[in-house]
This record gives sequence, C-alpha cells and structure tokens, in this order.
Amino acid sequence: MYFIFILVNSFEEIEDRDGVRLSWNVWPSSRIEATRMVVPIGCLYSPLKERPNYEPLPYEPVTCKAPCRAILNPFCQIDVTGRLWICPFCLNRNPFPPHYKDISNQNLPAELLGAYTTIEYILSKPPALPPIFLFVVDTCIDDEDLKALKNSLVVGLSFLPQHSLVGLVTFGTMVQVHELGYSECPKSYVFKGSKDYTSKQIQEMLGLHASPAARPQQPVRPGQQLPPPPQNVGAGRFLQPVSQCEFQLTTIVEQLQRDPWPVANDKRPVRCTGTALSVAVGLLETSFSDTGARIMLFAAGAPTEGPGMVVGNELKEPIRSHNEIEKDTAKHLKKAIKFYDALAKRAADKGYIIDIYAGCLDQCGLQEMKGLVNFTNGLMILSDSFATEVFKQSFLRVFSKDSKGFLNMGFNATLEVQTTKELKVSGLIGPCVSANKKGPNVGELEIGISGTNAWKLCGISPKTCVAIYFEVASQQPSVHAGTRGLIQFVTYYQHSSGQFRLKVTTIARSWVDANAPDIPASFDQEASTVLMARIAAFKAEFDDSPDVLRWLDRMLIRLCQKFADYRKDDPSSFRLTDNFSIYPQFMFHLRRSQFLQVFNNSPDETAYYRHVLNREDVNNSLIMIQPTLMCYGFNGPPMPVLLDSVSIKPDVILLLDTFFHVLIFHGETIAAWRNAGFHEQPNYENFKQLLEIPKIDAQELLVDRFPIPRYIDCDQGGSQARFLIAKVNPSTSHTTNPGYGVDAGQAISTDDVSLQVFMEHLKKLAVSGTS
Amino acid sequence: FNMLSGPPPTWDMYSQPQRNWMPGEEPVPVINPESIVRCRRCRTYINPWIQFVDQGTRWKCNLCYLPNEGIIIRLLPKNGNILVPSFFCWDEQNNSTNPLLRPELTHGVVEFIAPQEYMVRPPQPVVLLFIIDVSCNAVKSGMLAIATRTILDTLDKIPNADNRTKVAFITVDSSIHFYNLNASQNEPQMLVVSDLEGEPYLPCPEDLLVSLTESRSIIENLLERLGGDMFKNTTNSGNCLGRALHFGFKMIVKKMLNSIGGKIIILQNTLPNVEDGSLKAREDPKLLGTPKEVQLLNPASQFYKSLAVDCSRSQVCIDIFLFNSQYADVATLSGCAKYTGGSVFYYPNFNAERTEDTLKFSNEFSHFLGKPIGLEAVLRVRASRGIQMSSYHGNFFLRSTDLLQLPNVNPDNSYTIEMTIDENLTGTVACFQTALLHTSSSGERRIRVLTLALPITSNIQDVFSSADARTITTLLTKKAVERALTSKIEDAREAVLFKLIEIISSYKSNCTSSGQSMQLLVPENLKLLPILTLGLLKSMAFRDTNIIPSDMRSYVMSTFYVTSVDTNTCQVHPRFWSVQNLHPNVGLPGEDGSIVFPPLLNLSSEKLERVGIYLLDTGFEIFLWVGKGVFPEQCNLLFGRNYEALPSGKFTLPVLENEFNSKVNTLIEKIRQLRTTTSSVFPHLYIVKEDGDGGLRQWFLSYLVEDRQSETLVSYPQFMQQLKVELAGVSAG
Ligand SMILES: [Zn+2]
Ligand SMILES: [Zn+2]
Repeated sequence: MYFIFILVNSFEEIEDRDGVRLSWNVWPSSRIEATRMVVPIGCLYSPLKERPNYEPLPYEPVTCKAPCRAILNPFCQIDVTGRLWICPFCLNRNPFPPHYKDISNQNLPAELLGAYTTIEYILSKPPALPPIFLFVVDTCIDDEDLKALKNSLVVGLSFLPQHSLVGLVTFGTMVQVHELGYSECPKSYVFKGSKDYTSKQIQEMLGLHASPAARPQQPVRPGQQLPPPPQNVGAGRFLQPVSQCEFQLTTIVEQLQRDPWPVANDKRPVRCTGTALSVAVGLLETSFSDTGARIMLFAAGAPTEGPGMVVGNELKEPIRSHNEIEKDTAKHLKKAIKFYDALAKRAADKGYIIDIYAGCLDQCGLQEMKGLVNFTNGLMILSDSFATEVFKQSFLRVFSKDSKGFLNMGFNATLEVQTTKELKVSGLIGPCVSANKKGPNVGELEIGISGTNAWKLCGISPKTCVAIYFEVASQQPSVHAGTRGLIQFVTYYQHSSGQFRLKVTTIARSWVDANAPDIPASFDQEASTVLMARIAAFKAEFDDSPDVLRWLDRMLIRLCQKFADYRKDDPSSFRLTDNFSIYPQFMFHLRRSQFLQVFNNSPDETAYYRHVLNREDVNNSLIMIQPTLMCYGFNGPPMPVLLDSVSIKPDVILLLDTFFHVLIFHGETIAAWRNAGFHEQPNYENFKQLLEIPKIDAQELLVDRFPIPRYIDCDQGGSQARFLIAKVNPSTSHTTNPGYGVDAGQAISTDDVSLQVFMEHLKKLAVSGTS
Repeated sequence: FNMLSGPPPTWDMYSQPQRNWMPGEEPVPVINPESIVRCRRCRTYINPWIQFVDQGTRWKCNLCYLPNEGIIIRLLPKNGNILVPSFFCWDEQNNSTNPLLRPELTHGVVEFIAPQEYMVRPPQPVVLLFIIDVSCNAVKSGMLAIATRTILDTLDKIPNADNRTKVAFITVDSSIHFYNLNASQNEPQMLVVSDLEGEPYLPCPEDLLVSLTESRSIIENLLERLGGDMFKNTTNSGNCLGRALHFGFKMIVKKMLNSIGGKIIILQNTLPNVEDGSLKAREDPKLLGTPKEVQLLNPASQFYKSLAVDCSRSQVCIDIFLFNSQYADVATLSGCAKYTGGSVFYYPNFNAERTEDTLKFSNEFSHFLGKPIGLEAVLRVRASRGIQMSSYHGNFFLRSTDLLQLPNVNPDNSYTIEMTIDENLTGTVACFQTALLHTSSSGERRIRVLTLALPITSNIQDVFSSADARTITTLLTKKAVERALTSKIEDAREAVLFKLIEIISSYKSNCTSSGQSMQLLVPENLKLLPILTLGLLKSMAFRDTNIIPSDMRSYVMSTFYVTSVDTNTCQVHPRFWSVQNLHPNVGLPGEDGSIVFPPLLNLSSEKLERVGIYLLDTGFEIFLWVGKGVFPEQCNLLFGRNYEALPSGKFTLPVLENEFNSKVNTLIEKIRQLRTTTSSVFPHLYIVKEDGDGGLRQWFLSYLVEDRQSETLVSYPQFMQQLKVELAGVSAG
C-alpha cells in the first residue's frame, strides 16, 4: 500500500516537540559510511513551531563564552556543587550566573529539564519599532478587479495591529508614493517608471533625511500602543500608525483609479513593477534599518517598463516560455532576474519581507521576481484575479493572530546552528539568505545556501520550515559508538509584539558503527523524501531537468542497493523494509511532479510551486509530492485509495488533495444520478449524504491551508477532470497496460511510465549491482 | 503713426494692435466675409487706399501697384462699371448694399473673422498655467495667500468664451507639485515630482489642465487650500522654477499632437536656486553707476531666453510677477516675458500685511487675468515699395524680417517698427499695412488689418511739422533700452542726446535761415522734445546715479521697452499738479465728460510751496507731497489727521465726508483707472512729507526733471544751454 500513514510514530512525536525531522536518527561515525548512506544527514526544522502549553521564559538565556555562545540545554553536564556547566559544543566549563546559586538536582531551571529541548526566551532588550506594512499596488488593472483588490486592502488594513506602521505605493506607468501624514489633500510623490533610481536618489526625492526613528523603551502587551516615530518629518510622513491614518488610507485606497495613461489596442499597459519595488525599498532603507517590515506587492500583470521589465509592451511579443528559457532566447530574463535578485538582497540585508500577490490570468513575472520572496521569506499567492476566493481568503490569512492576539508573523530572524565537532553544516535550503557566518563547523560540502552556519530570515512564522544538511567531519571513526552528537538551533527574532526573542532547540543523536542495524531502522523516509525534493528543486533552478531526474534515479538506485534485501541479479527477490518501503514511490511521484516537470506549467507556475515546496513542513510537502486521494462510495466508509487510474470508477466520488488544488470528482454514474435529481428525493437520503460528505471533508482540508487551494468540483469526462488525470499513476494507460478492463478504471493516455514499470526497472537496476 | 526724419531717413511706425478701447471710441468694424480680398502678389488686404482701374474692372494694390482682378465679378448698374467681388454687394441680411460702403473700403482699421483657410487647426482656447512659488518666502510674505485669493475672486472674469478656457496649477519649491483637478473628485490631488533630472515628465496624462468651467469647484477648493494651510508649515527654501517651466511647457505643449499653446503665469517670491535655471544673488553695489553696471542688467544665463524662444515657437506666452524681498534677478527672469510677448510685474519687498501692497497686487493681478487676450498671433507688416522695415522693438520673437510671432497679444504691449526709405518713393502717398492674425479670447480666429496712408512730400518742412514729439521720445526710449543693454547706459544716454541734436540741427539746416542760428529753433510740434528727452535721461532707466538697484533698473527698462506712447510720456515726464486750491470744476466731469484735472505744473521744485499739497503721476506710482507748513485744517480735511500724525510712505487715502478729500480721491482714482486700463498698473500712493523720510523725498524730487539734481543731472535751462553749445558745434563742423 502506498499511502501516507498518519500514524503516531516516534519521528512525529519529536517533530511535535522540537519541530525537527531528521533523515537519519542515528549517525555513522565516519564520513565514508555517511556517504554510503546516499541520503545525506539532514533535517527539516520549523523554528517557531507552536507547542501548546509551553510559555516563553521571561529571562535571558545562559550562554557559553564567546566565540562559542552555545546556550545552556538539557544535554549539558552540570556540576551542582561547583555551580558549573560544561558546554557540550566547545567543552568549556562555564560558571552559572549568580542568580542560579540555588540550583540543585531537585531544583533545576526549565532549560535543563528534558522536556525543554526546545525553549523560548524573551530577551530584555527594548522592544523593536512596530512592524511596518507597505502596500505596493498595481493600478494597471481592470475596474472590477481593482474594486475587489481595494476591498481586500481595506479589510486587510482593519486586521493590522493599531500601532503598526502602514504605507502605500501605487504604480502603473509611474510610481506614486502616498504621503499619509499630509492632512490637506491627497498627496503623492511621482517617480518615472522607466528610471532605475538609486536608493540615495529616492531618499532625496522623498525628502528623507536620515533620521533614524527613536526606539520606544517600554515593553509591550497586545493592544498596547508604542509611541510612533515622528510623523511630519522623514519617512514618518509616508508610514503612519494604523490608528492614525486608517481613515485617510482607506479613503485613498477606495479612490484609487486605474492607471490613467492610455493603452493602445496592440499594447500591454505600461507597468513599472521593478521601479515601484525599488522605490518601496528605498523608502524604508534610511529610516527603518533592521526593523521588521513587510512590503506587499499586488501585481495584476507582468512588468513592461523600466528596470525589471519582463516583457515588452507590444502584445505581439509573447511572454517567455520554458522553451525559450531552455534555449536561452528569453530576451529580458537575465537582466530582470539580476535586477530583482539585487533588490531582494538589499531588502534582505535590511530585514524587509517582500510578498507577491499576483492576480492575473497570464504570467506576471514570478520567474524573474521569485528572488524577492525566496530571499526574504515572503509570501507568494498566485490567483487568476483579485476577485477570486483564493486571493481574498489567503490574503486575510496573512493577518491571522495567535491565541494572545499577536500576528502569526515574526520579523528579522537569524537562525544559527551549533554542532558538536564531529558534525559539520553543509548548507540550508529554505526561504532565506546567508548571514555569512564562518564558524568552525562549516563543512566542505555545499548543499543549498552554504559556506555559513547562520542564515537570515526576514520573515518567520510558525509554519516556516527550513531544510538543513550536515556532513560527518572525520574520515576515520573518531567517536565511540554510543556517544551522542548534538545540534543546537538558535533563532533570534522580532516577535510581532515588538519583543526580541530567542528560540533554542537542542537535539542529540547517537553515533553508531558502520553497518549497525540501527542505521536503516533510523531512516525517516518521509523526511528524506522532502529533503531530497528540496535538493532536486534547488538543483533544477540551475541544471537542466533531465540531469536532475537522472541524479534522483541514481540516488534512489544506490539507496536500494545499500538497504534493500535481494539476491544479486534476481529482481524478484527484491524487498524493502517498512521504513524504506514507500520511498521509491515518493521518488516516482517526485519525478513527475510540477517541481521537476516544467513543460506542463508556465515558468511562473514552476517558480510558484518551487517556492511553496521550499517553505513547507514534511506533511504538506508530501501532499504536494504525492497527492492524497479519498474514495467515497456506497460500499463502505470513505477510505484512502491508490493515486492510480484504477481508482477512477463511475460509481464513486473521489477527493483529491494536491495541496494546491482540492478536487472533488464525481464518477459518471454518480454525476448522472445527481443530474437526474435523485438526491432531492426523500428515499435517496443516503445519496444526498454521499454527495455532501466529500464537500465537508474538502472544507476541512481548506481550514488550515495556506495559500488557499483552488477548489474544483468536476465530473468524470468534464474538462476540469484533467487535474485528477494528470496526477494519478497511469497504470491503466494504453501503452503500458492494455490488458486492464475498462470498468476496472479509466484508461490514461500518457507517455509516462507507470509506477509498476518504474518499480520493475528499479528492482532490475538495484539487484544488478552495476549502477 | 509718425515719422522721424533725419539722415538717413527713418520712419517709425508704432502699433498697439490690440489696445484697450477707451469709452467713446468707435469700435472696430468686424467683418465676416465669404473670403478675404487680397493682392495677388504682395498679399496686401484690400483697403480704402486701393484704386479702381480699368473702368473699375480691376483694383490696383496701393503697396505694390499690381492691378488685381476681382474675385467674382459682377456689373453694378448703379455705380457704373465697377467690378467687385459679388459678396461686396450684399450685407449679412442679404440686402443689396453699395459695395463702396463696405467697411474694407471705408475703414483704416477692420477686423476680419478668418475663414477656414486661415486656420491650421481649430482656434486655440485660452490656456492658463499658473506656476506659483510656495517656498517659505512666498508663504511668509503672504504672496501665496493673496495670489490664490485673487485668482479665486477673479475666476469669473477670466476670458472663458464657450467654456473653452483651460487652467492648470503648478506649485514650486525644491520640487514641482502638480494638481489633478478632475471634476469628478471631491478634492484636488497633489502630485509631487522631485525627479528633476532628464526629460520632463508629467505625473498623469489628463486632469492637470482642466476646463475652468467643468472643474470650477475643485479649482476653487484648491485655491482655498493653497492660500490656507497647505504650505503653512513649510520650511522649504528651495525653488526650481527653471525645471517647473520645462515641465509646465511640456504640459501645455507636448500634451497633444498639435501643441495648444497658452499662457504661463509665474508668481515668484524666491530666486530660483535648484537645478537648471537656478540663479545667484549677483547684485554688486560697487558696479552701480559704473560702465560695468550693464552686466547686472543683462541676463546671468541664456536659460530663460532660450526657454522663452521655445515657448514662443509653440505659442506659449510667459508673464512673470516678482515679489522678492531680496535680489530677484529681474534682468534674467524678464527674458521669459521679453521673447514671448509677455509682461513683467515687480513688487519689491512685497508684504501682504501692508494693505497697500495687497491692494496694488490684487488690483493689477485681477485686471491682468480679466483682460482680453489675443492668442497665437502673427503680425505682418507691409509698406509701399521702397520702404524697408529696419528694426522692431517690443516683446516678441521675430520670425522673419516682416513677421512677428506673438504667442499672446497683450493689450498693454506696443510694438515699434522702424523703417527706412531705400529708394525714391513714387506717387503721392506711402502706405503701410499691419495685419494681425490672432485668436481672440472668445475663440475666434481674427485678422485685424490696419492700413495707413501718409502723403509723400519732398518738402522736409512738412515732415517736421507732421512729426510727433511724444512718439519720437517713445521710439528713443526703446532704442535707448537696446543700446544700454548691448553697450552701456552711458552710451544710451549719449545716443539719445545725439539723436535729439541730430533732429534739431537737421531742422535748423533745412528749415531755417542761417541768420537765426543763435536761437534754439524747434518746430512747434516738437517743442516738448527736449524736456521729454531730459526726462528720459533722468528716468530710473537711464539716470546717472549709483543708487538704483539693478532689479529696479531692469524692471523699468523692461517696462519702457513695451509701454505705449501715452504711458511712456508720463513715465519720462510725470504729470504734476497742485491740489491746494482746487477750482470748483476739478474732480468733476468737464465738457467732454472726462474728469477735470487742475492745470499741469512744470516739473520744478520751484513750484513747491511750504503750505502746498501736490500730486504727481509718474506712470508707475502716485505721490502726494505735503509741505511742512500745510494748513492744519486742509491737512485734516484731506487726511483726517494732522501733519504730525501723517506717516510717510505707502498710504491709503481715507474717504472723508468733505469736498476736498473727495476731489483728491477722484483724481487719484482717475489716474489709477487710466494706468490700470493702459498698462495694467495700479499705482501705489506715497505720502511724501517735506520733512519726512529722506529717501522718499529724494525719490519724489528725482521726478522734478527741470531741477538740477547733480553735476550730471542738470536743470532744464542748463540742458537747453548744452544743446545750444552742441548745435553750434554741429553747425560749425
Ligand atoms: Zn561552548
Ligand atoms: Zn500688392
């Protein structure tokens, strides 16, 4: 069976406690052995994962001496009488601070208790400035869509904390920065859309003379207002507390008009998205350095003007395709990527998040602009228009609050990784940039963002999940089996209350000898799948996709060679133990997923899918890689079924969840009965229920999902059913299995190999030992 | 029209093609013909001085003498065989008329409503772009508040025929602020452009230049806010006028495929100091009164001139109002007006807290905004064969030797044309014709044709007896301005003097017998020429002194360059009256209906009695001199206070319930009315006390041009004596 088993197992318990899922839960003591394990030691880590009933500690952590700075944790040896603790990372002895004088084995502070391998401190540093929200709104948009967007913005504004600062930039042919602190009439600064302004020019033109806003001194509780920065000078004119400008800003937003410059029939509107973003970053840069800020771009189409132009404004020039990108003939691509990446780095340096909310049927340049979100952990929401539920609801979810009334978003985070000396850091794959911290534990291998042991996440939320990869340091076994290696994750961030906090997770795993049976038993195939998927998607940004697929195949074959039971050259003898059993199937689906098969998608969609994969946790990522399929019929309770064409039958309803789409599929018979209105007849109550249950289940899936998936309700044979057909394993395709009966399942026309064929090949190659 | 003779013979034709009509004058006949009859060769318009030849089948052009066919020929039994265009025989009601009574053939001045072929595009609407300084000086001086209030109060007076008038506002400090005035909005939207580099761009494509009628309420709203709190707290001392003009020019010119042209009205309180066109405070008191003074009177850069030339080509006129409390660089900024047919207004040290300043400016500005304007005009000058146009004076851009480009025809401005006779004239009359093609503020394309015939004479005495001293002085003034700017003020003075001597000696040698040489002989009609010349030499423009700030000197020169004969005469030779013992008629309408003034006094301080009260009209301002022995009751009657309580300086004469006060008030009001009508100037009234403010006294006395005022500023008798000496020299040589 190839389902995702929603079991309570030890891996998931650990995940619940520490937010960590490792590919291997014991580690071989030599580098060679680690290499033979094929899948690298790595983990998926959600730094701010919520842990109910654990309150942050209102005091400063105890740290080891510089340069180590590791934080006291349950794995430290302590000497109660000597009031000392030994740092497991550098082995230094540190005295406890004076106020720990009453410490004893019966009276330990929380951070030394086994239950607190993950712990959060509220630092005593004065609170940060209130968070900043800067709306950057495209006005080259039709009236209906503009109306919908305006409504969402106004509602969004009402969800912002009253003390947070908010600003508005609108753009089309030109960029307008709205001065909210001006009470006499609507006032805005207008920039030429075609010009690449330097940061200094922007600041001069806006009249921002470096006047860093004063930091408020008092601690803050929910709802309490921070003293706002001065409002009639510098950037304070453009960024005002919601409590003060809500009315004015609402009025401006409500009166926004479509870009007034005429657009000829054979032209696209002139849209200077790049300049607008550069102005937005420039606006914040002088006055709000290292302050949590969220630049929210609402784009209704592709940039056609100025730096960062993605397509010319002649309609006869089509926007670039994967084909052109592959052939290197996309004429604006490289220049635009260079521009947006540089801008993204500038924003990331200062700690600003950039979100892209795209509301358009065509591509709007996400392929070029993706760096903006991926470097800053911004959000990317892709919808056909701002009038869709996908946009409207997803947008509101951005402002969701925790149980204490704080936004579920942190700012300006740094994640630093400490390791005991046998383990080194290879790199990280996730929505962040390198903090360029060279420590002794920075390894030689380069995976993802490497060469550092710290990374900067401009935005961070309880859902943020990064993949971190490790390598074993020594060529020779240098540690005794049975001792433990430690990893400590230290996340410093600005909580949306303004508090600075430190979240610390320390984990320990045993070192074992080569070939110890503990190694395969510690394999987490789900975490491993996601870790490999992130590497594959990361590689696919630079390498041709066939190369990436070949690499994935090679890795899978080698893993099977190493860990499967088989007799050489006898495919029928091939067996995988339970905790490896579904890994090949995941790889099969990963190979044919939207992350690696680009030609069914536009470059923008590819950028979008990879962006989402890059930030989600194990469970969500697995749904994306191998969607779930539930079957509802008369012959029993709803049950998960194979993601396979055999599951498509006329007398069932299927519920497909691909993470991006939630699809309800009615078999032919069911659809016919429904069309005949049977469910409205009293004696067909059970049919009525059958129609409703999948809908209720689908709603449940939507509750927690971000972005809101596209919801599709379709019938067998209908055009929308193609979403399902594209995802299922083509076991009944004409080419591979003509023998299957039609009533056994729907035949799929595809060139894909089926899972069965894939497995046959895998077994053959694995047992041949020639790979 | 006057002639100025002398070797080589030059003629001066002076034209004020659009001047304001004074009450009682016959209006110019307006003709709406089927087509306009013009000479086939030289394009002269048919006029009263053509001759019908060949039994009336053709008409002979009075400029080039070509016989022209009629356009449509028809026999008119009643008038013999005269053949004229058929439409000449019918009036607008289709009644048969006598073609010889057609206005074209009976009036020296006619105005045609231009048929289609005279238009390259529909007539231009009135377009007004206000560029208003909002730097902190403009706010502090109160200029911004008064200017916007005045515009607001004058909106109904702005020419707006058929509701076609369009307006736009730009405010300027170190950035340029545009205003979206779309009529559908509740309030104006302010759009700030601070990217001043490179090609000018507009922040939005529409709604900056809007219909005065449609957007009326939002325009009012904007003006109220501008004068209110919008810039109340500004600390911005920058001003980027140069760039604002580029942007504004783009707005009214490049906006549409066909440029629409218009009028840019600059209200400036600060020296432009940001980006292109920024100027430096370059006043240097050490240079005043020296040959180098002229550096200060010439533009500091070519920026405004070349901008003005571009504007002129695109039918854009620039008028500039200056309010600076410090150096304004009138010399440079007035270039905007000079080449575009515009005007310069100067309010040094303007302070809105002074009622008089507010009153003067708002009166002038409101008159300025309300007066009719001719748009996108060209003035063509034609003259009989043998007469050449040699030079032109006035604010315009010369497109070719006989074609003046005038984006705006301003009723206050005059244009002077000098002509030379380069071959012997034939016939008995010399003819001149000016044709001004323009769009009236009512949106009609019109041609004002003015034809003049002067008898040709071989007798120079006739020439002299037909000459006009005032016109000659006006021409001399304009020539002197040019001379001063291209050389130096001293040279201009010498040239004026030389010309005077030349005229008189020419008269003497041609028209008098040699025995009378000891006598300074001037024909009766030129009697005033010496005193007018002396006045000119002592005027603010040419006075030999080192105390006139260059801004003031430049302003007076720029005014002199365009003013009409009447105004100019008053400016060089003020009108001076005693108001102490007024005749009962004074201040009341006389026989001809106009207000009776007291008899004019010579401009001499000998006239000033210690008990006297005098009124002086200088064309720029009005003075009331009060002798320190003034009778207390008179002082009280006139001013409502005693001499001691009377302040020196700008003053508002109270309206009191007594005859004396009301007569003087009437006189002042009449003077102001005249100035406002003829030159858009609302003169300040200054009280000068005999023992009051020394500077003010000096200023007043400087207008008494018959006095000896310094070594070089000689008295009138001394001047006449000098003339005699010089003439003797000329005769001897
Ligand atoms: Zn340490
Ligand atoms: Zn002719």
